[in-house]
Amino acid sequence: MKKIEYTSALLREKYTYIEHASGLPIYVFPKAMTNTYALFATKYGSLDTTFAVGDGKPVTVPDGIAHFLEHKLFEAPDGTDTFTRFSALGADSNAYTDYNKTAYLFGCTENAEEALAELLTFVTQPHFTDESVARERGIIAEEIREDEDSPWERAYLNLLSALYHKNPVRKNIVGTVKTIQKITPKLLYKCYNAFYRLDNMALVVCGNITPEAVVAVADRILPASQEEKPTVRRVYPTEPQAVRRARIETKMQVAKPIFNIGIKDNVLPQKPQERLRRDLSITLLNEILFSQAGRFYADLFESGLISHSFSHGYSSTERFAFNCISGESENPEAVYDALIDYIDGVGKTGLSQEDFERCRRVMYADEIRAYDSTDEIANRLLSFVFDGSEIFDVPAVLQSITKEELEELLHTLYQNQYFAMSVVRPL
Amino acid sequence: MIPIELRLSPMLSLRLCQTQKFKTEMLSLSAALPIAGQKPYMTSLLLSVLLRGTKSYPDISAINRRLDYLFGTELSVRNFYRGDAQVIGLCANVLGADYLPDGTPEREKLLSEVVAIMREVFFSPTLDEHGLLRTNYVESEKQLHCDAIRAKKNHPQGYAMDRCRSLMFDSEPCGIPLYGTEEEVMAVTPEDLTAHWKALCKELSLHAFYVGASDAESIIGALAKGLQLENVQADPIQKGSPATIPLTNVAELVRRPERRVDEDLPVHQSALVMGLRMPAAVQDDGFFACAFYNELLGSSSPVSKLFINVREKRGLCYSCFSTYNAYKGALTICCSLESDRLEEAEGEIRAQLAALAAGDISDDEWQAAQKSMENAYRQLSDSPSATEVYYLGRALAGVPVSPEEGSARIAALTREEVIQVAKQVTIDTVFVLHPTAKGEEQNDEED
Repeated sequence: MKKIEYTSALLREKYTYIEHASGLPIYVFPKAMTNTYALFATKYGSLDTTFAVGDGKPVTVPDGIAHFLEHKLFEAPDGTDTFTRFSALGADSNAYTDYNKTAYLFGCTENAEEALAELLTFVTQPHFTDESVARERGIIAEEIREDEDSPWERAYLNLLSALYHKNPVRKNIVGTVKTIQKITPKLLYKCYNAFYRLDNMALVVCGNITPEAVVAVADRILPASQEEKPTVRRVYPTEPQAVRRARIETKMQVAKPIFNIGIKDNVLPQKPQERLRRDLSITLLNEILFSQAGRFYADLFESGLISHSFSHGYSSTERFAFNCISGESENPEAVYDALIDYIDGVGKTGLSQEDFERCRRVMYADEIRAYDSTDEIANRLLSFVFDGSEIFDVPAVLQSITKEELEELLHTLYQNQYFAMSVVRPL
Repeated sequence: MIPIELRLSPMLSLRLCQTQKFKTEMLSLSAALPIAGQKPYMTSLLLSVLLRGTKSYPDISAINRRLDYLFGTELSVRNFYRGDAQVIGLCANVLGADYLPDGTPEREKLLSEVVAIMREVFFSPTLDEHGLLRTNYVESEKQLHCDAIRAKKNHPQGYAMDRCRSLMFDSEPCGIPLYGTEEEVMAVTPEDLTAHWKALCKELSLHAFYVGASDAESIIGALAKGLQLENVQADPIQKGSPATIPLTNVAELVRRPERRVDEDLPVHQSALVMGLRMPAAVQDDGFFACAFYNELLGSSSPVSKLFINVREKRGLCYSCFSTYNAYKGALTICCSLESDRLEEAEGEIRAQLAALAAGDISDDEWQAAQKSMENAYRQLSDSPSATEVYYLGRALAGVPVSPEEGSARIAALTREEVIQVAKQVTIDTVFVLHPTAKGEEQNDEED
C-alpha cells in the first residue's frame, strides 16, 4: 500500500495520501476540530453524457443523469433509507453533482468510523427500480422548477448557453424536466458501472481522525484487490473558439435587470500545474480589475450604474474555462461598454504595482482562511486531487506570479470574439 | 469554548473565546435596538450610508483598499431582527498574527487598526460642509434600498416566507418591515438621517464578541486603542444578567383563528408557507421541547417527518422544511411545488402535525432527532460565527445556557413533554404564492 505524506510549513498542516489495495485513492487530512467531514466522490459529472465502454460504440445518455444517479444512490437494496442510517449515528449526510464530479458526504462529531463505513457501503451498492426512478422524476422536476424561478440562475445558465456551441457545460447540471423523463434504471446502471469504479473515485476525510483509522474502515468494506474493468472513453464535442451568441436576453420576475458578462477562455492547459497557475493568475487579475476596492467598481457604483451585488469569478476545468462578471443594472449595455473601455485603458497603461501587491495579499489571506473548516478543506482537497494539482502549492505559485504575466493575460483573454452577455430583464 | 464575559465600560461589553483552533480571528461589534416605537428602516438605511465612507476613508473603495492592505480583512455588516429587537453591527474576520508574513509592519496592530475602522464607520462618517451625511450617499443608498425592497420578489420562496412572517406578526414590533416601504425610504432626507445617526450614537451600547488565539488583555487593548476608550474596566458580567432585548411572552399571546392569504406572482412554482405559534420561546422552560419538536417535524434533517413524507414518500416537492424562531416562539413551514399539488401537500403537512400531536413518533425518529441536535450543539465550537450567534443571542435574551447544558436538556426530554408541545401548536397564518408564469423551461428552446 503506497503512502505519501504532504506537509506545508507555512500552513502548519499535513495530509496523507494512501493508495488503497482496492484501487481507491484515499486522502486523510487530520484536523483538531470537533467535526469530521468525509467525501466519497467519482470523477463523473454532468459533462460526461457521451462515453464508450471497452471497445463499444459511444453512447449518449440524457442530460442530468449524473445528478439523477446521485439522488437515487441513497436508496438501499434492502429498502432501508440511507439518511436514516446516518442519522442514527448522529451524522449529517448529503451529496452534490457538478460539471465533472459527483460527491457523497457526511459530517459528524461522533461515530466517524461507523459513518465512514456507511458512506463506503451505500455508494458501492446501487439499487434502482422503475418505481423509485419514477418517483424521483417528480422530486427532481420540482428542483428544476425552483431553479427556473431564480433570475440569477437563469442569467448564469443563459450565459453558458451563449458562450458555448456544443460543450455540455452549456446544459443545466440537473437536466430539464424533459430530459429526466428519459432516464431509466438500465441507463443509471450503465452510467454507474462506467464511472463508479474505485480507480475513478477518491475518498477524502478531514477532521479528528487518523489515516490508520480510515484505512482500517476501507479494508473492512472495500475489495482487497483491484477489480479488472474495461476502460471508459469519454467523448466530448469539438468546441469552436468564438462564442455562440454575443447577447442573450430573457424576461422574468425580477426587480431590476441582471447581467452576466462572460469571457470564454479557450486556453485549457493539459498539465495540472499549468492549470493551477492560470486559474490563480486570472483570479488575481480579476481581483485587481473588478474587486470592490478597485477603480472600475468605484466608478460604476458611485455613478449608480451598478449595485452592491457586483461580483466576479473565474471557473476552469480540463474541459472548459470562462470568466464571469455579474451584477444588477438599469443599463447593462452601459456596464458592458464601460467594461470594454476599462479593459482597453488598463491594457494601454498596464497594471499598477500597488494594486498587484494589495490583491496578492488578499488572495494569500483567502488561502490561509480556507483552512479553518473541515468541510472547506475536504471539498477543496477533492477538487485539487481530481484536477491532479497539489493544494499546498497554492501560496508558492501565487507568490511566483508576476505583474507582467497578468498584463500579458489581459491582452490574450479579453478579445471581442470571446465576450457574451446574458441579461434577465423585468417582465 | 465558553466565553469570558466582561464589561469594559457602561456602553461596551466583551465576550471572548480564546482558542487555537483557527488561523483567523473574528471580532464583532453589535448593538441590539428595540423595534417598538422606532423606525427600523431608518437604521437600515443609516448602516448602508455609514459604510459608504468615513472621515479617514471617504469612499467605499478607500475603505475596501485599507481592508485589503490589512491582509484581506473581511468586514461584513449585520442587520436583522432578533425577537422584537433590531440587531445591527459589524463583524471583522482578520488573519491571525501567526500567519502574517515575518516583518509585516501591521503584525502587532492589525486588530486595533480594524477596530479603528469599525469605530469610524459607526462614529466618524464622512460629512458635508454642513455637518450632514453626504447627500449623494444618502440618495444613492435610498435608491439601492428601494431596489432591495422590490428585489425580494426575485426569490419567490424567500418572499413567501417573509410575507407569512409579516402577516403573522402584524400586531407585533417585528412585523414592521426591516427595510420599510419604498415611500418611507424615499421620504428620508440627509437631515433626518443625520439626526437619527446622532441620536443613535448617544445611546449605542455595543457588544464586542471575539473568537481567536489572542488573550483577553490583547483584545481589551485593541478595543481600547481602536475605539479610543479611556479608563477601560474589565469587570466580569454576572451569570444570569437580565435580558437586554424585549422577549415575547408566549403564554400571554392571544391566539387568533387560522387565516389564509393568497397572492399571485409571475413565477413557475407555488410556495406554501405556514406560520405556527409555539407554546414556548427561548427564555421559557418549554424551549427545548419546542426545538426538539421542530427537529422531528422538519428542521434540516433528511429524516424529519416533512422530508420523509412530503418529499420522499409522496414526491410532492424538492424541499419542505420548518424553522423555529426561538426568540418569537413561532415556527414556519415552507414548501415549493407545482400548483396542482398544493392541496395534497398542505393535507400531508397537516397530517404530520396531527401525527406528532397524537404521539406518533418512532424510536428511530426520536433517536435521530436527538443525535442531530447533539451534533449541532457540538459543531458550534468549529465555527466562530456560529459560536457568536449562539452565545450573543442567549446573552441578549438573558438565557445563560451553554451548548453542553442545552445538549443535556435535549437528552433529558421525555416523549410526554414533546407531545404536550405538539398539542399546543396552533396554525396562525397560511400564505400561498400562486404562479402565473406560462411556458416551458427556457433552456429547451436552445436545443
